[in-house]
Amino acid sequence: MNSRGAHGVGWIWGSALAFLLAAILLPWAGGSIRLDRVLAKAAPDYGIFVELRLSRTLLGLLAGGALALTGSLFQSMLRDSLATPYTLGVSAGASFGAVVTLALDLDRLLGFPAAWIGAMTGAAAVLLIVAGASYKRGSLSGVRLLLSGIALNSICTAFILLINSVVHDRRSFSITQWLLGSVDSVSYRALFVFGVVVLIASSIVITQARGWNLLAVGEAWAASRGADLRGLTMTGYCCGSVLTAGAIALTGPIGFVGLIVPHVVRARISPDNRVLMPCSMLLGGVLLASCDTIGRIVLAPAELPAGAVMALVGGPYLVWLVRRRF
Amino acid sequence: MSARLAVREVSFGYPGHRVLDSVSFSADGGEFIVLTGVNGAGKSTLLDIIAGLREPDAGEVSLEGRALAAWPAKERARRISHLPQGTRAALPFTVEQVVLMGRYAFADRWFESTEDRIYAEDAMRRMNCLQFRDRNFSTLSGGEQQRVLLAACIAQCPSVMLFDEPSTYLDVHQQVECFRTLAALAREGALCLAVTHDLNLALAHSSRVIVLDQGKIAADFPVENACADPAWIGRLSPHLRMARTPEGLPWVLYR
Repeated sequence: MNSRGAHGVGWIWGSALAFLLAAILLPWAGGSIRLDRVLAKAAPDYGIFVELRLSRTLLGLLAGGALALTGSLFQSMLRDSLATPYTLGVSAGASFGAVVTLALDLDRLLGFPAAWIGAMTGAAAVLLIVAGASYKRGSLSGVRLLLSGIALNSICTAFILLINSVVHDRRSFSITQWLLGSVDSVSYRALFVFGVVVLIASSIVITQARGWNLLAVGEAWAASRGADLRGLTMTGYCCGSVLTAGAIALTGPIGFVGLIVPHVVRARISPDNRVLMPCSMLLGGVLLASCDTIGRIVLAPAELPAGAVMALVGGPYLVWLVRRRF
Repeated sequence: MSARLAVREVSFGYPGHRVLDSVSFSADGGEFIVLTGVNGAGKSTLLDIIAGLREPDAGEVSLEGRALAAWPAKERARRISHLPQGTRAALPFTVEQVVLMGRYAFADRWFESTEDRIYAEDAMRRMNCLQFRDRNFSTLSGGEQQRVLLAACIAQCPSVMLFDEPSTYLDVHQQVECFRTLAALAREGALCLAVTHDLNLALAHSSRVIVLDQGKIAADFPVENACADPAWIGRLSPHLRMARTPEGLPWVLYR
């Protein structure tokens, strides 16, 4: 391996270490629980640690990783530096599906929280509609995906507004709360399923990093270097959509992590997707989990949503970075 | 033995507009062919079809005797490189990273091998861009960027090289150097096919000229016969005429 490759691998290991440290340390932030009592499984420390803080931290790490990876993927695939996991309409579809279940006051479906099932169903429907609308003459064009996704985004948002304006006040409050997005504790069963989805989808995406590098230059350029355009675009769209839908089903829409982390990693570490994608994923998880922890302790006992903390911390930093770089 | 590249009765069009109409020619290694014609004659479309970027409505392109569509993408890229028109300029990659993209079809590991880097260095040296290998691509001038993209095509080590207006953005010296490099690659055994509007660069360096007019091949001749039947030049502009340099080379003059 050459020095550049070693440099990139060093950053990936460093990001993995940060991810591991976040998983170990963040559940303890804010005090009020003691290590010896948790190890002795003493109430309430053990319950707070296992049922609330650890699962919440793990969800932040997984959802942040999934969204940041999808952001870097869509930015390369669509050659659009403003692309986020939400650009292709899947998030609006997921939100629409979840809002329908909230409006109907459904609690559980198929043994899972109804909002999760609604979000996954809405995301799958949008995925199929956008992919179908973008498929033409044997190819799946990034431009067609982008425009169809933006159109579906607007349509789903319009339906969400419509539903929110006609439902009862209590349900409207639930819908608004869900749309704010937050990292809350979830069952380990849900975490396990989401973890497996993230592991599989992210492995597929990251192992094709050289193809995303080519697509970042242009479709004709990528095809001329030997990339399978149709396969790459379909893989990227499906994997990115699954990652986004899974994260949104569990956290609601928290999108900024998918914009800021890839830009910071691209500027500070490497634009090469072989380094950018794994680092974005690992550091995106660290960022979302950290923002959730800050939101949990800074105004305790009140809580600030992780998305709001991230916007307040990350927004000014991104503006500063853009001013320096462009 | 079949030709390295054979284009047979290729047609392509959009509803109400035919771009290419039964275009046929074949070519072998060692040739440097210049494809010229007025705007909209179908040159870039023909290059895209030969590169496998577009499917023809009729006809077939074959590479080494095998239909182009039958080649897997990576296998084809090991044999054909293509520099498309208008590749975007605001790339976040370094020059070396862009040139190494030419090795995509060869690399079978996460990072490129030492061999890949040797090919990339050689290509950068040939296109006179090794000195800014560590610079960000987006900080280069248009001409420097073009040389980097050409180097990536050369690093691909193909037997057929397609260039759509390779001398775009290049200064006069670099234009000459670019065409000299393409001629050298052809002498080393590659088949080079370049779209250009610079007729004197073409006549001075290429071995064969193909003129496209309204989607059809209007002329196809070895460069030494350029003056034998100068009617081809009239298809490009009425203000041009053929002449010869004191060394006897064909030369295009403005009337």
